[in-house]
Amino acid sequence: MLSTFLSHQRKSFWRSRNKGGSIATQIIIGFFMLYFLVVAVLMGLGMALYLPKIFPNQGVMKSFNGIILYYFAFDFLMRLQLQEIPTLSIIPYLHLKISKRKIINFLNAKALFSAFNVWPLFLFFPFIFLEIGGVEGPLVALMYVIAILSIMVFNNFLVLYLKRKSITNIFFTLIGLAIVGTFAALEYYKVISIMAASNFVFSQMTDRPYLGLIFPVVAAAIFVINSNYLRRNLYVEEMGAKQEKKVSTDYPFLNRFGKAGELAALELKLILRHKRPRYSVIMGAFFLLYGFLFYKAPYIANDAFAKMIFAAIFMTGFSILSYGQFMFAWQSSHFDGLLINKIDFKDYIKGKFLLFTIICTVVTILASFYAFLSPKLLLLHLAAYLYNIGFCTVLVLYLATFNYKRIDITRSASFNFQGMGATQWILMIPFILLPYLIYLPFGYLNRPYLGLMAIGFFGLVMLAMRSYWINYIAKKLELKRYKIAEGFRE
Amino acid sequence: MILEVKNLQKVYGDKTVVNIDDLQIVAGETVGLVGNNGAGKTTFFRMLLDLIRPSQGEVLSKGENVMQNGDWKNYTASFLDEGFLIDYLTPEEYFIFIGSLHNMSVADVSAYLTQYSEFFNGEILNSGKYIRDFSKGNQVKVGIAAALMQKPEILILDEPFANLDPTTQIRLKNLLKAQAGNMTTFISSHDLNHVTDVCHRIILVEKGKVIKDFKTDENTLQELESYFSA
Repeated sequence: MLSTFLSHQRKSFWRSRNKGGSIATQIIIGFFMLYFLVVAVLMGLGMALYLPKIFPNQGVMKSFNGIILYYFAFDFLMRLQLQEIPTLSIIPYLHLKISKRKIINFLNAKALFSAFNVWPLFLFFPFIFLEIGGVEGPLVALMYVIAILSIMVFNNFLVLYLKRKSITNIFFTLIGLAIVGTFAALEYYKVISIMAASNFVFSQMTDRPYLGLIFPVVAAAIFVINSNYLRRNLYVEEMGAKQEKKVSTDYPFLNRFGKAGELAALELKLILRHKRPRYSVIMGAFFLLYGFLFYKAPYIANDAFAKMIFAAIFMTGFSILSYGQFMFAWQSSHFDGLLINKIDFKDYIKGKFLLFTIICTVVTILASFYAFLSPKLLLLHLAAYLYNIGFCTVLVLYLATFNYKRIDITRSASFNFQGMGATQWILMIPFILLPYLIYLPFGYLNRPYLGLMAIGFFGLVMLAMRSYWINYIAKKLELKRYKIAEGFRE
Repeated sequence: MILEVKNLQKVYGDKTVVNIDDLQIVAGETVGLVGNNGAGKTTFFRMLLDLIRPSQGEVLSKGENVMQNGDWKNYTASFLDEGFLIDYLTPEEYFIFIGSLHNMSVADVSAYLTQYSEFFNGEILNSGKYIRDFSKGNQVKVGIAAALMQKPEILILDEPFANLDPTTQIRLKNLLKAQAGNMTTFISSHDLNHVTDVCHRIILVEKGKVIKDFKTDENTLQELESYFSA
């Protein structure tokens, strides 16, 4: 039975409607996986060499034992975000003469096909076989293998169980990250130590190998809990995310902008109520950390803005870019509805500008914490901000009129490349190059602040021309409306 | 003449999907469009609403080409499929949004909606769901109510009776009949009973062409049935 299920899965992949897209996605994911696998293998093989260098004051066994629990803590958080519940694929089988047990077995088996269940093998096994096997003997090595596999299975099914109970969302992950971060900090300041705890657990196992059998017992327990939960709740509507009561919302501060404000409010709801667009905007918040890579003390001291301008523009503009690159396609499911209603193309474009300006302003304000590094950075950010709301918005919306690819907005966010096309790549080129072109002459003349002013001024000019651009893009959109609508209907 | 279609053609590849030489609709008429799958009904409606570029010919709404001028949107309301709904909104949000496009205040909208409580059968408003979470029938109700709310002079509905429960089908028929004369209604339907009941004029299409165009009388239903069983 299991093999029949799997063969159906294989067929559903190869025969899917947008096969080209999903194969491309798989190839890209494949490359990522391969990359991480190679990294994992190298790390696994190099562990014996590098652990003593990273933790010079303790034995290599102690270090190895110490990192295991850390790894699985991160593994757990990553899984919370990225691992998907296999659900939909079983709907066609539920009403057939197939026992629930078989369906559950299939779901459980399918859940194991995850990259998260491959990395630990490559990461830890080389060290276990080469080092532990040699020093402590095959029995201890075997127990290590069992322990690693068990924790992996434990994580796998615990995450699925939590996800099925719908007690997870991005905030939990952030909280989890904060907790792990706190422990790392406590570790650093030697208050309490997870490494010591982790080491304690595994060194006990080295001394008394039979203790290692606790791991598979715990893993089996969570497996059984998960399976029982599934058996009791094998209803499609209960296996997905739980429905909460939806309420109507209103954004009064947008009302003062008239029709454009209405449309911006509409789109704001679109972003907040769908996973993929929400992620593409929230990613902007993560990229706020980008500055720490680029804003180095010597650059700041020397006013070397050329080395930092990319980071500034990228940070303040990332949300515009990541959300805007699929512009109009977010609304592909109801684009017809927008066309037949009494919506002026100009108001429509105005609404987009308004939304971008709001998002970009919020991000720029958030980014002002870099003032602690140096107040100069605020000037840099101001120039980047003006550049983004003046130029980047126009660029994104202009290119959006060339985007005819439908996006199914209800699909999941991670590794979703639906709607990707040439426009997304074309977008990046002017976005990155232009600020350099403007800045470089001033940089060579050693007038860095004039360079910043030039970028800001350019943004201001574009901003002043906004009504011209609104008309221009609205005209473009009007010309292309049939083609865009047709593409979105596919 | 509120709607005029002149020499309208839509060609996909070497297949002509719609080919209508001349069609005129007088203000206040209730017209039914009947034809099998693939007759080009939806494509025709989409061209009426300027969603598809015709290969040839034009659609005139109050004498103006719908492609050149958006004025027809002021007095035309329509519901063809769920693609017309903004499905991540609650029904209330959707009605308020559509109302705002026609300068209706929130109070106007809720006043309007009270008269539809029977039509909604208590399932639409305050349900705590987004439109996408509704059954198809209830989505159709939202679409039709939003279209009627715009107090249109022209109403275009594509198979409004499909997916509706029997009670709502009858209520919708009564709604449409009550509007006859004040509003130009253009509906397509596969349900010959309903369409002959509601419409004063039937246009029969096959492979994109108008085969018959006649006023309804007591024999119409039989006539249509014999045509389709042939």
